[in-house]
Amino acid sequence: MVEKEDTSVLVTFKKGLTNGLFVTLLMVKVIVPCYLAIEIIKHLGIIRIVGDVFKPFMKFFGLPGEAAIGIIAGYTINLYAAIAVLTPLHLSTKEITIVALILGISHSLSVETPVTEKTGVNSWMLSGIRILVSLLAGAGLNLIWR
Amino acid sequence: MEIILTALKNSAVLTGQLLLIILPLTISYEFLKHRGRGLEGKKWKILGISSGGLVPLITGVIIGLTYGAGVIIHSIRSSNMDKKEAFLIMLFLSICHAIVEDTLIFVVIGANGIILVVVRFFLAFIFTYFAYRWLFFKKSRRF
Repeated sequence: MVEKEDTSVLVTFKKGLTNGLFVTLLMVKVIVPCYLAIEIIKHLGIIRIVGDVFKPFMKFFGLPGEAAIGIIAGYTINLYAAIAVLTPLHLSTKEITIVALILGISHSLSVETPVTEKTGVNSWMLSGIRILVSLLAGAGLNLIWR
Repeated sequence: MEIILTALKNSAVLTGQLLLIILPLTISYEFLKHRGRGLEGKKWKILGISSGGLVPLITGVIIGLTYGAGVIIHSIRSSNMDKKEAFLIMLFLSICHAIVEDTLIFVVIGANGIILVVVRFFLAFIFTYFAYRWLFFKKSRRF
Protein backbone atom coordinates (compact mmCIF):
# COMPACT_ATOMS: atom_id res chain seq x y z
CA MET A 1 0.00 0.00 0.00
CA VAL A 2 2.79 2.39 0.91
CA GLU A 3 5.46 1.34 -1.58
CA LYS A 4 5.73 2.31 -5.21
CA GLU A 5 4.19 5.70 -4.64
CA ASP A 6 5.22 8.76 -6.58
CA THR A 7 7.31 10.76 -4.15
CA SER A 8 7.50 14.06 -6.03
CA VAL A 9 6.66 17.11 -3.93
CA LEU A 10 3.68 18.22 -5.99
CA VAL A 11 2.04 14.81 -6.02
CA THR A 12 2.55 14.47 -2.28
CA PHE A 13 1.13 17.95 -1.71
CA LYS A 14 -1.92 17.25 -3.85
CA LYS A 15 -2.52 13.97 -2.07
CA GLY A 16 -2.42 15.73 1.28
CA LEU A 17 -4.77 18.43 0.05
CA THR A 18 -7.26 15.89 -1.30
CA ASN A 19 -7.13 13.93 1.94
CA GLY A 20 -7.72 17.13 3.90
CA LEU A 21 -10.73 18.13 1.82
CA PHE A 22 -12.10 14.62 2.05
CA VAL A 23 -11.76 14.69 5.83
CA THR A 24 -13.44 18.08 5.95
CA LEU A 25 -16.36 16.77 3.93
CA LEU A 26 -16.77 13.86 6.34
CA MET A 27 -16.47 16.32 9.20
CA VAL A 28 -19.23 18.59 7.86
CA LYS A 29 -21.54 15.60 7.51
CA VAL A 30 -21.03 14.89 11.21
CA ILE A 31 -20.76 18.39 12.66
CA VAL A 32 -23.85 19.98 11.11
CA PRO A 33 -26.40 17.33 12.20
CA CYS A 34 -24.84 17.05 15.66
CA TYR A 35 -24.78 20.80 16.16
CA LEU A 36 -28.40 21.08 15.02
CA ALA A 37 -29.53 18.21 17.20
CA ILE A 38 -27.88 19.62 20.30
CA GLU A 39 -29.25 23.13 19.72
CA ILE A 40 -32.75 21.71 19.29
CA ILE A 41 -32.70 19.51 22.39
CA LYS A 42 -31.19 22.44 24.26
CA HIS A 43 -34.10 24.60 23.12
CA LEU A 44 -36.69 21.98 24.05
CA GLY A 45 -35.19 21.59 27.51
CA ILE A 46 -34.44 17.89 27.02
CA ILE A 47 -30.77 18.55 27.58
CA ARG A 48 -31.44 19.52 31.20
CA ILE A 49 -33.15 16.18 31.84
CA VAL A 50 -30.25 14.28 30.25
CA GLY A 51 -27.84 16.47 32.20
CA ASP A 52 -29.57 15.64 35.49
CA VAL A 53 -29.43 11.92 34.74
CA PHE A 54 -25.67 11.96 34.21
CA LYS A 55 -24.92 14.56 36.87
CA PRO A 56 -23.95 12.14 39.69
CA PHE A 57 -21.60 10.27 37.38
CA MET A 58 -20.03 13.31 35.71
CA LYS A 59 -19.31 14.80 39.11
CA PHE A 60 -16.23 12.55 39.36
CA PHE A 61 -14.78 14.36 36.37
CA GLY A 62 -15.77 17.84 37.51
CA LEU A 63 -18.03 18.12 34.49
CA PRO A 64 -21.65 19.17 34.03
CA GLY A 65 -24.06 16.32 33.25
CA GLU A 66 -24.61 17.60 29.70
CA ALA A 67 -20.97 16.86 28.85
CA ALA A 68 -21.84 13.15 29.00
CA ILE A 69 -23.57 13.54 25.62
CA GLY A 70 -20.31 14.89 24.17
CA ILE A 71 -18.31 12.02 25.63
CA ILE A 72 -20.73 9.41 24.33
CA ALA A 73 -20.70 11.06 20.88
CA GLY A 74 -16.89 11.02 20.93
CA TYR A 75 -16.64 7.40 22.05
CA THR A 76 -19.07 6.08 19.47
CA ILE A 77 -18.97 8.49 16.50
CA ASN A 78 -15.82 10.64 16.45
CA LEU A 79 -14.13 13.71 17.85
CA TYR A 80 -15.84 16.08 15.45
CA ALA A 81 -19.24 14.95 16.65
CA ALA A 82 -18.04 15.46 20.22
CA ILE A 83 -16.81 18.97 19.45
CA ALA A 84 -20.07 19.87 17.73
CA VAL A 85 -21.94 18.75 20.86
CA LEU A 86 -19.54 20.38 23.34
CA THR A 87 -19.12 23.80 21.71
CA PRO A 88 -22.70 25.00 22.42
CA LEU A 89 -22.31 23.99 26.08
CA HIS A 90 -19.74 26.77 26.73
CA LEU A 91 -17.50 24.87 29.13
CA SER A 92 -14.56 26.37 31.01
CA THR A 93 -10.92 25.74 30.05
CA LYS A 94 -10.56 23.18 32.83
CA GLU A 95 -13.73 21.35 31.81
CA ILE A 96 -12.79 21.28 28.13
CA THR A 97 -9.28 20.05 28.93
CA ILE A 98 -10.72 17.20 31.02
CA VAL A 99 -13.16 16.22 28.26
CA ALA A 100 -10.36 16.50 25.70
CA LEU A 101 -8.13 14.20 27.76
CA ILE A 102 -10.89 11.61 28.16
CA LEU A 103 -11.76 11.74 24.47
CA GLY A 104 -8.18 11.98 23.28
CA ILE A 105 -7.40 8.63 24.86
CA SER A 106 -10.63 6.96 23.85
CA HIS A 107 -12.63 7.95 20.77
CA SER A 108 -14.15 6.74 17.49
CA LEU A 109 -14.14 3.21 18.86
CA SER A 110 -16.37 2.08 16.00
CA VAL A 111 -13.64 3.03 13.49
CA GLU A 112 -10.47 2.40 15.42
CA THR A 113 -11.36 -1.01 16.87
CA PRO A 114 -11.32 -2.64 13.40
CA VAL A 115 -7.96 -0.94 12.69
CA THR A 116 -6.39 -2.44 15.80
CA GLU A 117 -8.00 -5.79 14.96
CA LYS A 118 -6.15 -5.87 11.62
CA THR A 119 -2.77 -5.61 13.33
CA GLY A 120 -3.52 -8.96 14.98
CA VAL A 121 -3.84 -7.57 18.48
CA ASN A 122 -6.84 -8.32 20.68
CA SER A 123 -8.86 -5.19 19.96
CA TRP A 124 -11.65 -5.71 22.48
CA MET A 125 -9.12 -5.82 25.25
CA LEU A 126 -7.48 -2.64 23.94
CA SER A 127 -10.81 -0.85 23.64
CA GLY A 128 -11.62 -1.82 27.21
CA ILE A 129 -8.25 -0.51 28.37
CA ARG A 130 -8.80 2.73 26.46
CA ILE A 131 -12.18 3.42 28.04
CA LEU A 132 -10.90 2.58 31.50
CA VAL A 133 -7.72 4.64 31.16
CA SER A 134 -9.62 7.58 29.72
CA LEU A 135 -12.07 7.69 32.62
CA LEU A 136 -9.30 7.29 35.20
CA ALA A 137 -7.25 10.02 33.51
CA GLY A 138 -10.24 12.37 33.46
CA ALA A 139 -11.04 11.78 37.13
CA GLY A 140 -7.34 12.11 37.98
CA LEU A 141 -6.92 15.40 36.16
CA ASN A 142 -10.00 16.72 37.94
CA LEU A 143 -8.42 15.84 41.30
CA ILE A 144 -5.03 17.36 40.50
CA TRP A 145 -6.30 20.53 38.84
CA ARG A 146 -7.26 23.02 41.51
CA MET B 1 -36.29 28.58 12.87
CA GLU B 2 -33.87 30.99 14.43
CA ILE B 3 -32.13 28.17 16.32
CA ILE B 4 -31.58 26.25 13.13
CA LEU B 5 -29.98 29.26 11.47
CA THR B 6 -27.76 29.93 14.46
CA ALA B 7 -26.75 26.29 14.61
CA LEU B 8 -25.94 26.27 10.91
CA LYS B 9 -23.92 29.47 11.18
CA ASN B 10 -22.02 28.24 14.23
CA SER B 11 -21.28 24.85 12.74
CA ALA B 12 -19.97 26.59 9.61
CA VAL B 13 -17.61 28.68 11.77
CA LEU B 14 -16.46 25.58 13.65
CA THR B 15 -15.90 23.68 10.39
CA GLY B 16 -13.88 26.62 9.03
CA GLN B 17 -11.65 26.66 12.10
CA LEU B 18 -11.09 22.93 11.92
CA LEU B 19 -10.42 23.13 8.18
CA LEU B 20 -7.56 25.57 8.83
CA ILE B 21 -5.99 22.98 11.12
CA ILE B 22 -6.73 19.89 9.10
CA LEU B 23 -5.47 20.96 5.67
CA PRO B 24 -1.90 21.80 6.76
CA LEU B 25 -1.87 18.59 8.81
CA THR B 26 -2.98 16.20 6.07
CA ILE B 27 -0.45 17.80 3.70
CA SER B 28 2.41 17.43 6.19
CA TYR B 29 1.29 13.83 6.93
CA GLU B 30 1.85 12.92 3.30
CA PHE B 31 5.39 14.30 3.47
CA LEU B 32 6.06 12.54 6.77
CA LYS B 33 4.94 9.19 5.36
CA HIS B 34 7.84 9.24 2.93
CA ARG B 35 10.44 10.23 5.49
CA GLY B 36 9.31 7.71 8.11
CA ARG B 37 10.89 4.73 6.40
CA GLY B 38 14.44 5.98 6.99
CA LEU B 39 14.08 5.12 10.67
CA GLU B 40 14.01 1.37 10.14
CA GLY B 41 17.79 1.12 9.87
CA LYS B 42 18.52 2.32 13.39
CA LYS B 43 19.07 -0.33 16.04
CA TRP B 44 17.79 0.25 19.53
CA LYS B 45 15.07 -0.86 21.83
CA ILE B 46 12.81 0.99 24.21
CA LEU B 47 9.94 -0.39 26.29
CA GLY B 48 10.22 -3.68 24.44
CA ILE B 49 9.69 -2.00 21.10
CA SER B 50 12.43 -2.56 18.52
CA SER B 51 13.56 -0.35 15.67
CA GLY B 52 11.14 -2.11 13.31
CA GLY B 53 8.28 -1.09 15.55
CA LEU B 54 9.35 2.52 15.55
CA VAL B 55 7.74 3.30 12.20
CA PRO B 56 4.20 2.25 13.19
CA LEU B 57 4.74 3.85 16.61
CA ILE B 58 5.82 7.25 15.34
CA THR B 59 3.25 7.20 12.53
CA GLY B 60 0.49 6.49 15.03
CA VAL B 61 1.61 9.05 17.58
CA ILE B 62 1.79 11.83 15.01
CA ILE B 63 -0.80 10.93 12.38
CA GLY B 64 -3.25 8.78 14.33
CA LEU B 65 -4.93 5.44 13.88
CA THR B 66 -7.43 6.40 11.20
CA TYR B 67 -5.13 8.06 8.64
CA GLY B 68 -2.08 6.14 9.73
CA ALA B 69 -3.89 2.80 9.51
CA GLY B 70 -2.31 1.86 6.19
CA VAL B 71 1.25 2.44 7.37
CA ILE B 72 0.65 0.89 10.80
CA ILE B 73 -1.02 -2.30 9.59
CA HIS B 74 1.50 -2.69 6.77
CA SER B 75 4.60 -2.18 8.88
CA ILE B 76 3.41 -4.43 11.70
CA ARG B 77 2.48 -7.24 9.33
CA SER B 78 5.51 -7.00 7.07
CA SER B 79 8.10 -6.92 9.85
CA ASN B 80 8.70 -10.15 11.72
CA MET B 81 7.82 -8.78 15.14
CA ASP B 82 6.07 -11.03 17.62
CA LYS B 83 2.57 -10.56 19.00
CA LYS B 84 3.97 -9.24 22.23
CA GLU B 85 5.70 -6.36 20.56
CA ALA B 86 2.68 -5.60 18.38
CA PHE B 87 0.56 -5.49 21.52
CA LEU B 88 2.96 -3.07 23.22
CA ILE B 89 2.91 -0.78 20.20
CA MET B 90 -0.87 -0.82 19.99
CA LEU B 91 -1.16 -0.25 23.74
CA PHE B 92 1.07 2.81 23.53
CA LEU B 93 -0.85 4.04 20.49
CA SER B 94 -4.22 3.44 22.12
CA ILE B 95 -3.46 6.00 24.78
CA CYS B 96 -1.31 8.35 22.79
CA HIS B 97 -2.10 8.85 19.12
CA ALA B 98 -2.90 11.62 16.67
CA ILE B 99 -1.24 13.88 19.18
CA VAL B 100 -1.18 16.85 16.81
CA GLU B 101 -4.70 16.77 15.47
CA ASP B 102 -6.57 15.66 18.59
CA THR B 103 -4.86 18.32 20.64
CA LEU B 104 -5.32 21.17 18.19
CA ILE B 105 -9.02 20.58 17.55
CA PHE B 106 -9.67 20.80 21.29
CA VAL B 107 -7.45 23.85 21.63
CA VAL B 108 -9.77 25.51 19.10
CA ILE B 109 -12.65 25.19 21.56
CA GLY B 110 -10.54 26.29 24.53
CA ALA B 111 -8.59 23.38 26.02
CA ASN B 112 -5.07 23.56 27.46
CA GLY B 113 -2.93 21.76 24.87
CA ILE B 114 0.24 21.34 26.93
CA ILE B 115 -1.57 19.43 29.68
CA LEU B 116 -3.20 17.16 27.09
CA VAL B 117 0.06 16.25 25.37
CA VAL B 118 2.08 15.77 28.57
CA VAL B 119 -0.55 13.65 30.34
CA ARG B 120 -1.16 11.39 27.34
CA PHE B 121 2.55 10.76 26.75
CA PHE B 122 3.10 10.11 30.43
CA LEU B 123 0.20 7.63 30.69
CA ALA B 124 1.22 5.83 27.50
CA PHE B 125 4.79 5.40 28.80
CA ILE B 126 3.64 4.14 32.20
CA PHE B 127 1.15 1.63 30.80
CA THR B 128 3.49 0.35 28.11
CA TYR B 129 6.31 0.03 30.63
CA PHE B 130 4.23 -2.04 33.05
CA ALA B 131 2.78 -4.18 30.27
CA TYR B 132 6.34 -4.76 29.05
CA ARG B 133 7.57 -5.80 32.49
CA TRP B 134 4.57 -8.04 32.95
CA LEU B 135 4.92 -9.70 29.55
CA PHE B 136 8.63 -10.14 30.15
CA PHE B 137 7.94 -12.37 33.10
CA LYS B 138 5.02 -14.21 31.53
CA LYS B 139 6.57 -15.09 28.21
CA SER B 140 4.16 -17.83 27.30
CA ARG B 141 1.06 -15.66 27.42
CA ARG B 142 -0.58 -15.22 24.05
CA PHE B 143 -2.71 -12.40 22.75
